[in-house]
Amino acid sequence: MEKAATKKAISIDVHKGKAVFSIFPGLCKGCGLCREKCPEEALSWSEELGVYGTPTVVPDPEKCKACRICEQVCPDCAIAIVRKTGGDKD
Amino acid sequence: MDIQPKMPKSWNAATKPHKFCPGCGHGLILKALGQVIDEMGIQDRVVFGCDIGCSLLAWDFFNVDTVQTHHGRTTPVMVGIKKARPDRIVIAYMGDGGGYAIGSQHLVNAATRDDKITVILVNNTVYAMTGGQMAPTTMPGQKTETTPYGREVEQAGYPMMGPEMVAAITQEGAYVARGSVARFRKLKQYIRKALENQLAMRGFSFVEALSTCPTNWRTNAEKTWEFVEKKMTEQYPLGELKVPVVKEG
Ligand SMILES: Cc1ncc(C[n+]2csc(CCOP(=O)(O)OP(=O)(O)O)c2C)c(N)n1
Ligand code: SF4
Ligand code: SF4
Ligand code: SF4
Ligand SMILES: [Mg+2]
Repeated sequence: MEKAATKKAISIDVHKGKAVFSIFPGLCKGCGLCREKCPEEALSWSEELGVYGTPTVVPDPEKCKACRICEQVCPDCAIAIVRKTGGDKD
Repeated sequence: MDIQPKMPKSWNAATKPHKFCPGCGHGLILKALGQVIDEMGIQDRVVFGCDIGCSLLAWDFFNVDTVQTHHGRTTPVMVGIKKARPDRIVIAYMGDGGGYAIGSQHLVNAATRDDKITVILVNNTVYAMTGGQMAPTTMPGQKTETTPYGREVEQAGYPMMGPEMVAAITQEGAYVARGSVARFRKLKQYIRKALENQLAMRGFSFVEALSTCPTNWRTNAEKTWEFVEKKMTEQYPLGELKVPVVKEG
């Protein structure tokens, strides 16, 4: 049984259009661990609610450098950063 | 562009979001483990055992053969599976209450026997599933449900130093490390080495992972990181405690 909701991403271009930041509200539990670890302080709480009805996160496209730290520290795999130039390996 | 979540391939996507609380370190440890299973290409050979406690919430976490047992008994169950099927890569996944208190005899005996299995033990300093009571790993001065004024060592003793103990009672082929969810890459490296050690049948392999429990710690995100990164690592030093000497040729 695949939960369709977990698969729907909200995506925005970041890092001068060189990367796409995606948040999956169906996976985000609003824990805030990602916000604390962002070296650019690029993440704020979003209007979009997550799986438990708590705010998800949204990046400031000007500040986000697509470093993928938030993606790494998310216990729920709710963030996916895709660099358009490739190089998504850890 | 159809963007998919970057979950490890070995995760069972149909059971996500998983059952752990917001900000729970179990999710990060199992993400590290999932990535290692993927990178080593061993998904079809892994048998995963989880314990009583919040670790049991992982009973449907991976697309691998999984068994759930009682406090610390996951260790002998995985030993049994390994003896019956040495071609399997077995992982006993448990909490600090299960592994160091209620079922500690199993850890001690498997380590002493040098059983060729991998144990991943999650240190979140409390009995999390039952509501945050004092565990063997509760730190001096730490407040829990059952130590409301902080753990007093005169009365409640000292915390358990698990990897130090396991390192002392194992043979030369054992691998022993303490990682942290706050050092994700290192944690992954330790888990990988612990599984490789089992694959090479060198000896007992043990990784303690410092983890987060915001629900019972009653911490927000900032304090959660601070607790695991500062307070816990002062009591529980990170690193490898025992690395087998690999013979050349
Ligand atoms: C023999 C026995 N004693 C007590 C319990 C109740 N119990 C269930 S989970 C748990 C705590 C587990 O704590 P830990 O192993 O640290 O795992 P965590 O939930 O913290 O991940 C306890 C005491 C039990 N199930 N069996
Ligand atoms: S990718 Fe890096 S800079 Fe961008 S939001 Fe995440 S942590 Fe911050
Ligand atoms: S994206 Fe992940 S780390 Fe960030 S708030 Fe949501 S669940 Fe927590
Ligand atoms: S109670 Fe603690 S250990 Fe258990 S799922 Fe919640 S945060 Fe994780
Ligand atoms: Mg615990």
